Amino acid sequence: MQRGGKARRRWLGALILMLAMPVAMADEVVGSLGAVGSDTLAGLMLRWGEQLTDRHPGIRLQLQASGSASAPPALVAGTTRLGPMSRAMSDTERRDFIERHGYPPVEIEVARDALVVIVHRHNPLTQLSLAELDGIFSATRRCGGGHAITRWRELGIERPRGRLALHGRNAASGTYGLFRQRALCNGDYRARLDEHPGSAAVVAAVAASPRAIGYAGRNHLTAGVRALPLVDAEGRAVRPDPERVRQGDYPLSRTLYLYLNLPPGEALPGPERAFVELILSPEGQETVVELGFVALPQATLERQRRRLGLHETP
Amino acid sequence: MSDPSPSLHLRQRLRRGRDHLATALITAGGIGVIAALLAIGVFLVVEVVPLFWSTPTDTGHEVSWRALWLPQSYEGYDAPQHRWQPTVTSAEERPQYGMTPLVWGTLKAAAWALVIAVPLALGAAIHSAMFMSRRLRSRIKPTLELMEALPGVVIGFIAGLVLAPWVERHLAGALALVVLLPPGVLIAGWGWTRLPVRLRRCLPLGWAGLWLVPWLLLLVAAALGLAPWLEAGWFGGDLRGWLELRLGLDYASRNAMIVGLAMGFAVMPSVYALAEDALSGVPGSLGEGAQAMGATRWQTLWKVVLPAASPGVFSAVMIGAGRAVGETMIVLMASGNTALMTLSPFDGMRSMAASIAIELPEAAFGGTHYRLLLLAALALFVFTFLVNTLAEVVRARLRHRYRRLGGAP
Repeated sequence: MQRGGKARRRWLGALILMLAMPVAMADEVVGSLGAVGSDTLAGLMLRWGEQLTDRHPGIRLQLQASGSASAPPALVAGTTRLGPMSRAMSDTERRDFIERHGYPPVEIEVARDALVVIVHRHNPLTQLSLAELDGIFSATRRCGGGHAITRWRELGIERPRGRLALHGRNAASGTYGLFRQRALCNGDYRARLDEHPGSAAVVAAVAASPRAIGYAGRNHLTAGVRALPLVDAEGRAVRPDPERVRQGDYPLSRTLYLYLNLPPGEALPGPERAFVELILSPEGQETVVELGFVALPQATLERQRRRLGLHETP
Repeated sequence: MSDPSPSLHLRQRLRRGRDHLATALITAGGIGVIAALLAIGVFLVVEVVPLFWSTPTDTGHEVSWRALWLPQSYEGYDAPQHRWQPTVTSAEERPQYGMTPLVWGTLKAAAWALVIAVPLALGAAIHSAMFMSRRLRSRIKPTLELMEALPGVVIGFIAGLVLAPWVERHLAGALALVVLLPPGVLIAGWGWTRLPVRLRRCLPLGWAGLWLVPWLLLLVAAALGLAPWLEAGWFGGDLRGWLELRLGLDYASRNAMIVGLAMGFAVMPSVYALAEDALSGVPGSLGEGAQAMGATRWQTLWKVVLPAASPGVFSAVMIGAGRAVGETMIVLMASGNTALMTLSPFDGMRSMAASIAIELPEAAFGGTHYRLLLLAALALFVFTFLVNTLAEVVRARLRHRYRRLGGAP
């Protein structure tokens, strides 16, 4: 009799708890957020996800980071509502989305970043012009690279001797596409370019070989490699410093985006709203800097908050 | 004659029922596997066929069988090229779908893996089946078979991030090792036959696997120690420059040699295990008969045992080839994924399996790129299916032959 009474009391307790739960969490946002897209943004998205769970314990973020190119198909197919991308959507991708859903995706700038051209830390090269960059990486040289550059001697340095060993990203990544667009003017990559499945792998490969040159996201820089200043159109050598990247002076600056599937006229659903609020908040932008990216200018943050109807947050 | 007791009768019927159930389950499982295999094949074919049937909507360019395999002229190049660049960044561009480099890369990677794995694995199998002491063999064989349990990702990771940079920094030493080790082992064998009988008894052939180890370590140390002097003396202190100038070979840090070493390491255990089983399965009466008639151990091996076991050895190599062609992660991480078509062991390559792993997540579902990757998958499927079937058929015939030989008086 004793045991039965105890069990009944426990049941009763659980029942009360279950009844009380919705009351306690009525003003809490609950739900799970799924995101598919850029692996450049993976670390940032995960950190934002953690902060979001700290703010709203009911929300969980699930991330699948297989490259920017995987975001549009997932958004079009409706398997996700959030698509982080390290480049803007192409016209074809946007058209596919509109064809399927009847309205364009909502585009939110979340941070700035830059692609850096890296060499081994002992490499004496001081700077690189955009024409030289084209001559090094491109097979078709549409960006002003007059002739192919295959040896370090042709860049005016004695050591390292021999050929340049090229390292870059695989075709799924936004980094690959953006570098091709900006540095190669949509030309073809040299066939002799090692394609790595991650920016960290590119950096590791360049750090291991004095003859290597490669490109990667700025946030992946390590002590083993050196980012080269690039000479812009006016002939100034520009370093990938935060200020230069924020203003877009550095030639390979880029903006990182988050795409949302949101029918026009509808308000953001709770979890998404909380997430975007966090990203555009000072706390969210601090995380951006912590992870090696560059925070958005204040004006851009304000403008986007207004556009999304988030102006009540500080 | 009394009836069996009802409980016994019931038990018998129960047992028979269980037997039926087990048989049915096993049959269903077998049919299920075959059905799944067929379904995969049918799925791949169905996905690939529209490629040649209709004009794809996503690019507007028809893909012809010729365009996939023959060099094409692209804007900005002087001569027709084999190029694989399936993604485009602007609308006016044409994606480049040359599949030949991928097939080439797959075969090249597999060939280098087999070049390294087959001699080592077969040599090890012959030694452990014919000469090795029983005690040592009982330790070594399970250890080698345990190697097979190493995941490809781990091997690929070590090859790409540890081995490749090390070889690049110590190229002369690594090449010296490749050149020095095989003759070094042969010299050890020759020296052994010259030893006085008393000494030779201290170093029995069956334990060669152990007493060769210090000799091999000595060779490795010698190769690595001598390499800088060799490089300075013969190659002007810059072996890479010399290779490029004299032989026109460009050294890429992730190359066919690295892939061959890593994938050879991955393929070796299964080739070894199958070949060893085939060799040690040769009925003992055959070898004993040959030796009784005065054949030496070498003659017995070469003229009697190897021919008897040759189908098994062949199928072991086939299984190894099948695994090497389908292996993904090692090539992905250690080859640099450059879609080149060269013979040089110092160039990288891009295999079909690695391309599928890298590109399928980004390919638009139902697009040309997607279907081409599935075409590559279909090719891999057909190839490994044929190779494994062939190996299995040959092995079945071998088992039959052994049974006949073993049963002979």
